[in-house]
Amino acid sequence: MGFLNNTTVTLDAILTKKGRELLARGDGSFRITQFALSDDEVDYTLYNPTHPSGSGFYGEAIENMPLLEAFPDETQVMKYKLVTLPRGTARMPVLDIGYSNVSFKQGTPFTIRPNTLNYLSQGTVNETSGYTFTISDVRLLNSFNGVGIDTPEVQALNSTSTIGTSVSKTVVGTTLSMTATTINTLFGTNTSLTATLVIVGRDSGARVSIPITVTKVQ
Amino acid sequence: MSFKRLDPEDFLVSSDTVTSTVWSDETVTLTTFFTSSTSSTNDNYYKNVYKTSARSDIQFALAYGDKLGSGSAQYNDLVGGKTPTRTVYGQFRNLIYGDENSDFNFGGTTSETFWAISIERARYKEKLLPASLNLKISGSYNLELTDNSTLVSTDTFLDCGRVYQLISGSDGTSYDGGTGYSADQGSYGLFLPDISTIIINPLAVSSSIGVEVSRSYDAPGENISTIFTAISGSTGFKVNSEETLSSDFVFVRARNSEFNYSENPSFISGSTGDVIFPALINSPQSFMTTVGLYNDTNELLAVAKLSKPLVKDFTKETLLRVKLDF
Repeated sequence: MGFLNNTTVTLDAILTKKGRELLARGDGSFRITQFALSDDEVDYTLYNPTHPSGSGFYGEAIENMPLLEAFPDETQVMKYKLVTLPRGTARMPVLDIGYSNVSFKQGTPFTIRPNTLNYLSQGTVNETSGYTFTISDVRLLNSFNGVGIDTPEVQALNSTSTIGTSVSKTVVGTTLSMTATTINTLFGTNTSLTATLVIVGRDSGARVSIPITVTKVQ
Repeated sequence: MSFKRLDPEDFLVSSDTVTSTVWSDETVTLTTFFTSSTSSTNDNYYKNVYKTSARSDIQFALAYGDKLGSGSAQYNDLVGGKTPTRTVYGQFRNLIYGDENSDFNFGGTTSETFWAISIERARYKEKLLPASLNLKISGSYNLELTDNSTLVSTDTFLDCGRVYQLISGSDGTSYDGGTGYSADQGSYGLFLPDISTIIINPLAVSSSIGVEVSRSYDAPGENISTIFTAISGSTGFKVNSEETLSSDFVFVRARNSEFNYSENPSFISGSTGDVIFPALINSPQSFMTTVGLYNDTNELLAVAKLSKPLVKDFTKETLLRVKLDF
């Protein structure tokens, strides 16, 4: 006879930078309503479907790895989400945005309209719930707007702004419309500024990250 | 889908009391006492007490208050009764009673004088823990003081919050099995946990162990030195602090059919999205490492990490309890 393991896994959560910002704002935007799971740090090439000890050991190298503590930067955690898909899915949803990087000059507008491949066996689709667009440093842009989703929550998100330091900004839409900054002092002695744009499909969870470069105009 | 909505029953708010020792370095009982080696203009009002001779870690401050201003020199000889001890008396009377006409009442006996022990703010979290006080003082005899919180059935409140009487005893109970008060001068003082202050009744202490206060006008700081000598000459001062910690618990439930695939780039082969191993097509496995808590607009508010990856597949369901402290 053996004892059954009755332990519950308890995790200590930390607030992200965005969480602290919304908590300080005190307008009710800090309200947890949903969760997601991710497998950041996991390298699936370590999965071994030919392990001599059998299928119970395929994930041995992954299961025993120690993990890093959580980062408070919301752009550096929850990168690769676990998704719910029908059993037998052979192809994962991937985002196609048409660019591997974006480089544009001060004051220039730029538009991105992502598509999702392989989502629910539909070929190429523009997701119904839209996409979240997160820029790591919103100071690089004069405008950063999500277009195409008109629910009250999304409109509230898209209309908020935080000024001052190098904070991220997230908008939701089927299309992203942005304009590079016209402020010269931001560049200092540099001729260009770089940030990261992360795009995540709100239905599929598919994610892509590309560098954004704004070039100074004399 | 990568997000799952939480139900109302997935949230739990729990308030728990956390207690700890007050003194530096987790010391349970303070047995060494030092005052500053240099004089200060504040010496007429209070003196800080340190744990080590390095005098870098204030533990508590001692003060003496006198309704008539005795025990220190007058600010101005032309104005009688206005002295630092009178100022201290009014300061604590205002803080404790919130009434300029009140007298200090120690278990039915009023007193015009008191000693105050004010615990350094950095030493405690929120307030002092009743029944944890054991203060030994010595004069002609020894005396151990505690509060009477375990002897009273209902708490008494003043303007400063809860108030307990200081009695002869330990760990919240009296030695004599009765009230623990002095023979004829009421209680030995007041224990005020919500403002982390202990008030000592000199009349009761004097009648028990012969430690007297000076009520002359030419003894600045002498009464503070008197109580310091009485405390430092004994074997210990113990008191704990307590803090109410409110935690939000969020229960995260992943059903058997959920979260079995991953958008991790190493899960995919090439740019077409093919699953990296055929074995993962019909028997997918994912390895969760992180839980993210979001608002309605998918903004990541809080994040929690597991200590090692947790396997998820179509034969497993997972329940995680995520704790959020504020």
